Parts: sequence; C-alpha cells; structure tokens
Amino acid sequence: MAAAPQTQAQPASAAVKARQRRAREEELLVWPDLVFIEFICAVLFTILIVGLAVMVDSILLDRANPAVTPNPSKAPWYFLNLQELLLHMHPALAGVVVPTVALIALGAIPYWDNTPEGQGEWLSTPRAWLNLRVGAAVGAIGTTLLIFYDESKHIQLFEMIAGKDSWPEQLNFMRGLRGIQNEINWPAWTLDVPLGNVLRLDLLGLPKIELDWNIPGFIVEQFIPVNTMVGLPILLSLVAHKLKIAQTKRDHMVLQFSGFIAVYVTLTIVGTYFRGEGLALVPYTIFADPSH
Amino acid sequence: MAATERPQGRSMGDRLYDAIFGNRLWRSIFRSGYPNTPRNQMLAVATNVFLHLHPTRIHRTHVKITHTFCLGGLSFFLFLGLTISGVLLMFYYVPSVDRAYTDILALETDVRFGQLMRNMHRWMAHGMVLTVLMHMMRVFYTGAYKPPREFNWVVGVVLLVLTLLLSFTGYLLPWDQLALWAITVGTNMVGSAPLLGEPNRFILVGGFQVGQAALTRFYALHVIGLPLLAAVFMMVHFWRIRRDGGLARPL
Repeated sequence: MAAAPQTQAQPASAAVKARQRRAREEELLVWPDLVFIEFICAVLFTILIVGLAVMVDSILLDRANPAVTPNPSKAPWYFLNLQELLLHMHPALAGVVVPTVALIALGAIPYWDNTPEGQGEWLSTPRAWLNLRVGAAVGAIGTTLLIFYDESKHIQLFEMIAGKDSWPEQLNFMRGLRGIQNEINWPAWTLDVPLGNVLRLDLLGLPKIELDWNIPGFIVEQFIPVNTMVGLPILLSLVAHKLKIAQTKRDHMVLQFSGFIAVYVTLTIVGTYFRGEGLALVPYTIFADPSH
Repeated sequence: MAATERPQGRSMGDRLYDAIFGNRLWRSIFRSGYPNTPRNQMLAVATNVFLHLHPTRIHRTHVKITHTFCLGGLSFFLFLGLTISGVLLMFYYVPSVDRAYTDILALETDVRFGQLMRNMHRWMAHGMVLTVLMHMMRVFYTGAYKPPREFNWVVGVVLLVLTLLLSFTGYLLPWDQLALWAITVGTNMVGSAPLLGEPNRFILVGGFQVGQAALTRFYALHVIGLPLLAAVFMMVHFWRIRRDGGLARPL
C-alpha cells in the first residue's frame, strides 16, 4: 500500500509550536509504539506456551480415592508456604490468621508508605537496592535457620562435631520448638488451666468460658510463633534504622517487603522440594516418587 | 474529512489505498483510515473499544520493556488464554465423581489436541500465578502503588487472591489423587480458623469430606463464579490505571 506522507497542519503560533515539540519529545503514540510491543509479546508467549504444552505433559495420578492417603499429601505449590508454617505452629495461626494478616498488611502498604519518593522508576531512592538485599538475605537465611532449628538440625551438627549423643541433657528443651513443651517438667496444673475460673466473665453476665488452657502448648504453638513473626521484622527494622541502612518510610517498606517475599519464596521452596514422606525435611519431587 | 493526510498525487497505490481503507465497509467498521498518520493512529486507539483501554499517547519511558516487563499485560493475556482453552476443555468434561477422571483420560487419549489443550491450560494457570506475583513485585519496586494509586494496589491484591482461588478450584477438577488430597489439605486449613472455621469448610466442601458436592461447587466457582468476579475487578483495575494518570512517573 502507498504510505501517506506524514504532513500535519502547521501550529498557529510559536507558543503552540513549543508546547507541541516538548510533548513530542517525551511522548510516543500508543499505536504503533505500545500496541506492537504488546502484540509481539503475545505472539512470543503463545509460542512459548504451545511449545511447553507440546513438550511437557501435565501430571495425572491415579483416580481419586478417599481411602488411600498419599504420603506426603500436599496442597498446590502456591499454598505450600502455609503448609510449611503448619508444621511449626497452631493450625489456626498458619492456615488462616497469618495469610489473612499478610494480605491485609499487603493491601495497607500504600496507606502507610504514602510519600511520593521513588515513584515510576525501579528502586530509584538512594538506599533502595541496599534495603532490598538486606531484607531478602535476612528473610531467606532467617527462615532457613528457623526451620533448621525446629527440625533439630543444630543437634545433628553438634553431635557430628562432639560425638554421638553428646547433646547435654539439661539443654533438651532446645532440641526444637516442641522441646519447650515436651522436655521440661511442667507442673500438672499448667497443662489444664480452666480459663473460666480465671477470667470470670460470668460475673459480668457473659457466658462462662468453657476452655481448658494448656500453657506449654500455648507457648509453643502460639506465643513463640506470633512473637517470632511480629518481633523479628520489627527487630530488623530497628537494627536497620540504627545502622542507617533504612532511614525513610520507603526504605523500611522496601526492607520489609523484600523480607516478606524472601520468606514466602523460601517457605514455598522448602515446602515443595524439601518435604518428603511424613513431611520430613528431605529432598523431594513428585516426579521422582516411585509410588506414582 | 481527511484532506491533509491523503497523498498529493493519485498513483496506483493511492487509488488502491482509497479502495481498501476508504470504502464504506472499512469505514463502517473502523471509522478512521489505516493508522499510518498520527491522526489516524490516535483515532485507531481512541475509537476502538479494546484499544481504548490505552491512552492515545504514552510517556516514552513506559514503553521500555524493562520498565514493566509486560507482567500485568501478560497476566491478562494468560487470563484470556485460560478462558479460551477452558471453554474448549468444558466441551469434554463432566464434573461428576464417576466421570471426571475418565473424561480427563479420554481427553488425553481420544480427543484430538485434547492433551495439548489440557497442558496449555495447566501451564498457563501456573504461569498466571507467577506473572501476577511478579507484577506485584514490579509495581512495588517501581513505587507505583503510591498516591493517587493506593486503591488500585488494593484492587490488585484482591485480583491476586482471586487468581489463587481460580487456580485452587481448578486443581480439584481432574479428580485424581493429587487433586483430591491437595484440596483436602487446603480446605482443612480453612477448617482450622478460630472463628467459624469448621462451618466455612463445610460450606466450601459441601460435606464432611471432599466428594461430589465439593466437585460441583469447585466447578461452578472455577468456570463461572470466580472468572466473572475477576473480570469485574480487572475492569476496575484497568480503568483506574487511566483515571489515576497512567503508569507512575518520577517526580
């Protein structure tokens, strides 16, 4: 087809001319400059997806059977971070409270960090990259260490160096998080505190609380996990503030968000590739499982 | 109407151009001529219902691939691809505990391109979860959630949840061991909520364990309920990008 010459009506005055020129320098027409990029992107990804679908078949196991529980049973991969948390704390906390709080906190980010700095460019504030690296490193390493602690990996390391069964008996409560509950001689009354006799809501005319409170269980399943998940990020921000790594709201936001992403990714990877039979901490992939 | 943008001479090519892009049929569909002049290029975007999601002009830094990596657009593209491949899969799939698994087997062996369609649907679903998460990270690290874009970030978080729920409900449909037990583990998490956990799990699963009621519910949510909800939030999401002044720009 014949290309039409790109003639345009001449601007009337010098002022209009200048304004047009300035706009031209910074702005492009969506057709063709953006629409073509989108089109090429769509074509490339269509090819990529068709190629992937031709080469890799999606998995299909045996017909669903409620009588046979596979070992391990796993949620879809994007929920394996929560399933990993489930191994370390109270199910209500890991399965419901943590994701709910995390999503609300995620949605609240712009209402807290409402400063205009750092907009429209990748990590454009002075300390953004630094905070990203620190947050991601602390999140990933911290999560890994916490999982190792709860899986008694520090005991293995100690006994590898100091010899078999050399872990001092007095420190048995530090074998893992459950050690606090199982390796300490809790007085019998702490295992069964009738909460209704302590919090006398019935005196206020409210229904009596019919709950027996297991204090060591509460400490291990709720108190320590909640304080870890709330306390460690706060501690990170305080330390980063003291060391002048994070100085502005945006710095703290980048630090915390990067930490959160790192924790999320670490938990997902551990839950997906390092939880085998009985959800033990061993390398695992569903594709190598002989039972499938 | 278009006197200034017509070529001066009337060569063979010009007459052909007029015949194709000036005739009544073309004009009835597109209103403007072929987008080869700035005016027609802007009209092409502004007068097309699909393209007018875009502004007609855009800041030059925003068309750089490395600014957005096309992640939001890719998420939408995958959503459209999932809709198309999903409708094709619905032709061959009956959500019943007696038939679902054999339907998938038949899809893989008897239906022409059935295995390919199922593979595409699954890889696009995994891909969409990834692109949505990465899009969220892009928006965060480019500071694009800051005022006046706060609410659109919240809409984005809702879309992230809907994406996960869409993927989760689809996970049950093949009715194999992976599907059944993944959904059992997932719904048990809901059941552990301190308030109304067990009643909520019961409503979601439609019984005490994952069975026909759960399959029916997940199917209905997966093929119509959640996609419609996601489409509504996407409309708001895209519209708000324009309302809030396009992509974020440095001060």
